[in-house]
Amino acid sequence: MVKIFIDDKPVEVEEGTTVFNAAETAGISIPHLCYHPAFAPEGTCRMCLVEIEGLPKLELACSTVVREGMKVFTKSEKVVEARRGVLEFLLADHPLDCPICDQAGDCKLQDYYEEYGLYDSHFIEVKEKRGKKTKLGPHLMHDQERCVLCRRCVRFLKEVTKTQEMGVFERGVHAEVNIHEGILVDNNYSGNLAELCPVGAITDTDFRFKTRSWFLDKENSICPHCSRGCNITIEHNTHFHRFPVPQRVYRVKSRFNPDVNGYWICDLGRYGYSYLDENRLDEIHVNNGISKLDWQGIAPLLAGKINRLRYMNKVSHIAVVLNTWLTNEELYLAKKIFFDDIRTDKIFFVDPPQGKADEILLTEDRTPNRRGAQEIGFERDSLDLETLSEKTDLLIIFGSFLAEKFSPAELKTHLDKIETTILLSSHTSELDALVDIALPVPTIAEKSGSLTNCNGIVQTFAPALEDCRDSCPEWRFLVDLGKEIGINFKFFSQFTSTQAILEEMGKEIAFFEMTND
Amino acid sequence: MNEKILSKLFDVEQAHKIDVYLEKDGYRAVRKALTDMNAEQILEEVKKASLRGRGGAGFPAGVKWGFVPKGVDKPKYLCVNADEGEPGTFKDKYIMSYNPHLLIEGIIITSYCVGIHQAYIYIRGEYENIALRLEQAIAEAVDKGYLGKNIIGSGFELNLFVHRGAGAYVCGEETALLESLEGKRGNPRLKPPFPASIGLFNCPTVINNVETLSNVPSIILNGADWFGQVGLPKDGGTRIFGVSGMVKKPGIYELPLGSSLKEIIFDYAGGMKEGKELKAVIPGGMSAPVLTADEIDIKMDFDSLVEAKSMLGSAAIIVIDKDTSMLDVLRLVTKFYAHESCGQCTPCRVGNNWIRKTVNRMAEGRGKKDDLDNILRLANNILGKTLCPLGDAAAMPIISIVQKFRQELESYIRN
Amino acid sequence: MSPEFSEKTKKKLEDIIAQYPQKKAALLPVLHVAQREFGRIAYEEEKTVAALLDIKPIEVREVVTFYSMFLREPVGKYHIQICSNLSCSILGAENLIEYLKEKLDIEVGETTADQKFTLTTVECLGACEHAPCMMVNFDYYGNLTQDKIDEILDKLE
Repeated sequence: MVKIFIDDKPVEVEEGTTVFNAAETAGISIPHLCYHPAFAPEGTCRMCLVEIEGLPKLELACSTVVREGMKVFTKSEKVVEARRGVLEFLLADHPLDCPICDQAGDCKLQDYYEEYGLYDSHFIEVKEKRGKKTKLGPHLMHDQERCVLCRRCVRFLKEVTKTQEMGVFERGVHAEVNIHEGILVDNNYSGNLAELCPVGAITDTDFRFKTRSWFLDKENSICPHCSRGCNITIEHNTHFHRFPVPQRVYRVKSRFNPDVNGYWICDLGRYGYSYLDENRLDEIHVNNGISKLDWQGIAPLLAGKINRLRYMNKVSHIAVVLNTWLTNEELYLAKKIFFDDIRTDKIFFVDPPQGKADEILLTEDRTPNRRGAQEIGFERDSLDLETLSEKTDLLIIFGSFLAEKFSPAELKTHLDKIETTILLSSHTSELDALVDIALPVPTIAEKSGSLTNCNGIVQTFAPALEDCRDSCPEWRFLVDLGKEIGINFKFFSQFTSTQAILEEMGKEIAFFEMTND
Repeated sequence: MNEKILSKLFDVEQAHKIDVYLEKDGYRAVRKALTDMNAEQILEEVKKASLRGRGGAGFPAGVKWGFVPKGVDKPKYLCVNADEGEPGTFKDKYIMSYNPHLLIEGIIITSYCVGIHQAYIYIRGEYENIALRLEQAIAEAVDKGYLGKNIIGSGFELNLFVHRGAGAYVCGEETALLESLEGKRGNPRLKPPFPASIGLFNCPTVINNVETLSNVPSIILNGADWFGQVGLPKDGGTRIFGVSGMVKKPGIYELPLGSSLKEIIFDYAGGMKEGKELKAVIPGGMSAPVLTADEIDIKMDFDSLVEAKSMLGSAAIIVIDKDTSMLDVLRLVTKFYAHESCGQCTPCRVGNNWIRKTVNRMAEGRGKKDDLDNILRLANNILGKTLCPLGDAAAMPIISIVQKFRQELESYIRN
Repeated sequence: MSPEFSEKTKKKLEDIIAQYPQKKAALLPVLHVAQREFGRIAYEEEKTVAALLDIKPIEVREVVTFYSMFLREPVGKYHIQICSNLSCSILGAENLIEYLKEKLDIEVGETTADQKFTLTTVECLGACEHAPCMMVNFDYYGNLTQDKIDEILDKLE
């Protein structure tokens, strides 16, 4: 360990730590543009210059390694003057685009100017002209005039995606970052560039001109589109509607997790948020003339049917279709009810089709909790409609993936054979008209629980968005169902939260033993 | 009586040919070094001789060689800096054209001392004809067994290649030179790590200027004490002073360190041309702060010029006359650095261009009252804040010109 | 269509590449050869050079656009590069630049209609003792006057 002083505050860090990171641990933030923890220090923006006692020149915090007894000053007169100088240089050729720039509110230049600038501009020359609003990629817009040449984008495309669509061309003040021969940045990680860019030089076309970042609430969630379980932030606006159609979610950003996704997320996850607001099932649909139902009545109704079949020794007439978008808790409860308590052997899984994996984050498996199902002990037999519907009187379907796999005609043929079919789905589909009761449930973004990623990491999450009106999370439904069935009433009664379920799982299955952090 | 070390053979016909060179005592230093001396002895001698770098920075060569770590399991490299881009500088051209084998000798002895088996001469792209001459000389040396495997039976191997630059002053900076040699844009690197440990292809590397290395053979033959006596104890040997500008006899003059600047200009270079009067002198290449006509009574050596708040640099003396406007000088200085900035770091990239624009506007007669103060402020925001010395090389002359010739510059600004 | 190097050039390039432990390090020398052979280094030529050195065309362009001597468009038979730096300007280079513009009837950066001369200004050529000076292709000419320039250009066929 090395002990240093930052702004007269003693800080102890491991050998080899940079002044920048040491300051961060002490809660002191040093302005920076080109530095990004995912890459080796660049040292070219010159914003992070600090004063170190005994050294004649100001030194870079991002690349200077601490030495025992070092005394660093991050806010001395010399430092503030240097910072202002760098800012002045950056703003000299920077266009006055704030009113039309999507970066506003999230912009390092704005932030640093507010903190260290606030000077009268001395720049009376003609600004350098560069490209404006050119297409950089299917998801990206390039405003070269705003570029501060931090080269994070170039480094990302070289070191992370290894696709190198962008480079630095020309020399001196004409130096520019650009694509080559019109070859667009077209890889599955392009969206990260908009996040990486500290200014509005690279922006998201999806987000362009839609709203201001300060109108957005930012909540944590887990991306469900594959089994990597990348950590994300969902940015949404429930107050300010710009469009004729109310839009709730405006964008998804990545959230750092060193064990799961590092600093990045893929474009599939980043731009795949429309499902949160589109085609939602948000009302209980009842076909076949059963009188109006609400969630209170569902569990007793189903429990009644289940128990009747049990007394008639017809447990094999009870079927359930699960999927691996369900959380650990939900799958565990489903196993307890259908496998342990009811003891039916008609437990099926239907999942969306697999896709192509890339070598970075995206997995072949396009569901978030296959590993969870595995650890809980499910063996996942593929489903065929014959087996599903043959001698089945009660079918509970979780999720509408059946509608993606089979045609409505096929489904109708088989579902019609079943006396009672219940569907729990977050989205509308052809199944809605084919079942007896369709019940709205929240997406992962709207409930709490945990998921197990492809590498066996269990991640808990809380709701990022509000549940829509009539829905009820699957875990709560299953708890009620378990209680109503009555075999293990006390067992299910303890589950008043998903945390409680996960705790119980930890006692029973070693894999889910969570250590307290 | 001035001892000629480097330019001794410049007037000898065909001295660039190895046969002629050998007749004139050529490669005797290599023989002595490789057969009678070991690496430590050579290093000691060069350190004692106080051989300072002749590229511009003036860093002691022996000390630099000593930074190369021992026992590292990686090949080591020597890069000869023949980029010669500092405006006013044209000396290395002469060594490479008229006495290339002297340079090659210096390269061999240096490589032998540090344990280097592969060396590159990074020569500026414009010197194409000189590059060809170097390649011919290298081929001759290989032929005669002074390069390649088992040099003169010593067991020492050294391969030497010529690598052409392509028009970028910044590649004279040692880490930018390395980047360029690796086939990349000439962007200087962050230091630390220093090239002595992480240099060319991530291996320990020594980078020295042509003139610096060309002094090594004579140090080996005549000893460090002699070298110090020719020059100064802390700044040994001679320098090839290059005089240009408004003088009668522009050209190279090899003279001992510590020679008088006044003498160089008025005796050796013949004084002012056509009855012109002296206004200013740049003593060490364009990056050196300018001296007024009253300030030229100084000795030309590293320490004396530091004391005079300028620098010896590449010993390129540019003589400016009273009929040359200092605004024009300032304009040409800012034009140069703005053009040559690599563009990596903010202060140099933006600052130099901003100052250039301001000075151009002044030169067009649209100068404003605050312009000079603004230029000083901007130059001070560049000075000491950049990734590589090019920022300082730009800021220092700009600041010196504005400070020392303020009145003249103000006269160009309309009120 | 990407141009191909001649067989003779290919051999020369092999020797150059062999001088370095990494292929990419040969990029600058190879670009000099390519420029001489193809007259310029634009996209098609970038692809040829990139293929030779196992790198990407974008890396070639990054380098070509950094260094002043690499040209993206071909120049005339004689590329006149006149120094516009300090020592040369003290001795009247800027007037000579104007003279050349007039004489050739082109602006700086342009080529004469018969494709014979291209005129550019460059920074210090390292021949300040012969200021004002210029480089035509790779040949240096110094101590220039208007008459001298006339003489030199007349001799160039």
